[in-house]
Amino acid sequence: MSKLAMDVPAKGGFSFDLCKRNAMLAKDGVQLPPFRKTGTTIVGLIYQDGVVLGADTRATEGPIVADKNCEKIHYLAPNIYCCGAGTAADTEAVTDMVSAQLQLHRYHTGRESRVVTALTYLKRHLFSYQGHVSAALVLGGVDFTGPHLHTIYPHGSTDTLPYATMGSGSLAAMAIFESKYKEGLTRDEGVQLVTEAICAGIFNDLGSGSNVDICVITKGSKEYLRNHLQPNPRTYVTPKEYTFSKKTEVLSTLVTTLKERVEVVEAGDKMEE
Amino acid sequence: MGDSQYSFSLTTFSPSGKLVQIEHALTAVGSGQTSLGIKASNGVVIATEKKLPSILVDEASVQKIQCLTPNIGVVYSGMGPDFRVLVRKSRKQAVQYHQLYKEPIPVTQLVRETAAVMQEFTQSGGVRPFGVSLLVAGFDDSGPQLFQVDPSGSYFSWKASAMGKNVSNAKTFLEKRYTDEIELEDAVHTAILTLKEGFEGQISGKNIEIGIIGEDKIFRQAPYLLPN
Repeated sequence: MSKLAMDVPAKGGFSFDLCKRNAMLAKDGVQLPPFRKTGTTIVGLIYQDGVVLGADTRATEGPIVADKNCEKIHYLAPNIYCCGAGTAADTEAVTDMVSAQLQLHRYHTGRESRVVTALTYLKRHLFSYQGHVSAALVLGGVDFTGPHLHTIYPHGSTDTLPYATMGSGSLAAMAIFESKYKEGLTRDEGVQLVTEAICAGIFNDLGSGSNVDICVITKGSKEYLRNHLQPNPRTYVTPKEYTFSKKTEVLSTLVTTLKERVEVVEAGDKMEE
Repeated sequence: MGDSQYSFSLTTFSPSGKLVQIEHALTAVGSGQTSLGIKASNGVVIATEKKLPSILVDEASVQKIQCLTPNIGVVYSGMGPDFRVLVRKSRKQAVQYHQLYKEPIPVTQLVRETAAVMQEFTQSGGVRPFGVSLLVAGFDDSGPQLFQVDPSGSYFSWKASAMGKNVSNAKTFLEKRYTDEIELEDAVHTAILTLKEGFEGQISGKNIEIGIIGEDKIFRQAPYLLPN
């Protein structure tokens, strides 16, 4: 009786009604507004006690930085977090929806959520939208069966890895991981390595920037380190305020007080019914 | 009796202006195991008998008091399977409310939506009313609250209430002992004493269930039998 999808919309799936119109407009030279993509460097790794996830905090709209400090590490369950790259609206909507489904599932089973459950909800959803939901995710968490780390691609395929990177800065971050990752890292080593990987993305990829967010998940606890490192502070702020020259000058002033046209009488007759 | 001709179809009023199916549903509730709730000044307690049909039943598999959200719990009198369906629907509604408003659902809203579901089943074709009355206990920004929801879909806010087999005795007992300033600890004692009043046999930790919510707004059940 229980379905995976929440409430299936009446038509089912994506509505392709406007595609013909869009194609016609494109021919006339009208461009689609740029999606607010997250550019992004997101990473995850498994260390000896659990999982460390990391993300940068820049959101871009084409060449413009739309948000200098956005949150890319999304909550799915108390023991499961998910970093999202791709279209910001898609990553937020899909992680929000799966987080609600996981909560319902927890109530019904009385158990802690498993990472593979979240993985399956996400990949089934993304596959059914055939890649039109542009969300590339790094999913990490610790459950009864141990620590898990997965990557999920917009078309719905998944990988299970000891260390993973996604987003436009993934190559820069992966270079760091490939050279320095080893099994059995301690918590501090893991956080250090993730920070380095994200910084590689921040400094070498245009789509990523600003600060480093970290999330450490172990059995029974999690630490969300928002803005763990801020390597790009505003270094120069003008100490005096900006002064703008007056463009319009006041020549003369005339004040006319409002005159009362209606007399207000207190305690008048009650309105007739 | 004129009424009996109209008692088969839910969606037909009887000449006396009643929906006889709902009356029958209330009878089903009245023959269910006793459950009760007390609203204290700093929390709410709900309790129920848990009489299993045989000593061979694995009591760990039966959990009559359920939580709908971290700060709202519910108990019932009547048909267990109907209760399970309502709990499932209510939980989903609470999650959907949170998805839309990014706020934990207030107790009154959840009660209203659950009552609306129960009312739907009294005005649709081919279905029967739910054979349960619910006692919903919650603690939100408006303080501690206790609501009763009937098979007809009507709901009431109570300071203390009882349902099921021993309802009149239990309510009299509660009326005598309830004060507006009662604290949660006392309310729990009173709840257990009230259950003991009509209990057949020896009352013990194994044949009752208690649900408590205090100022920390976290609903806790005793005994909590589901695995971690």
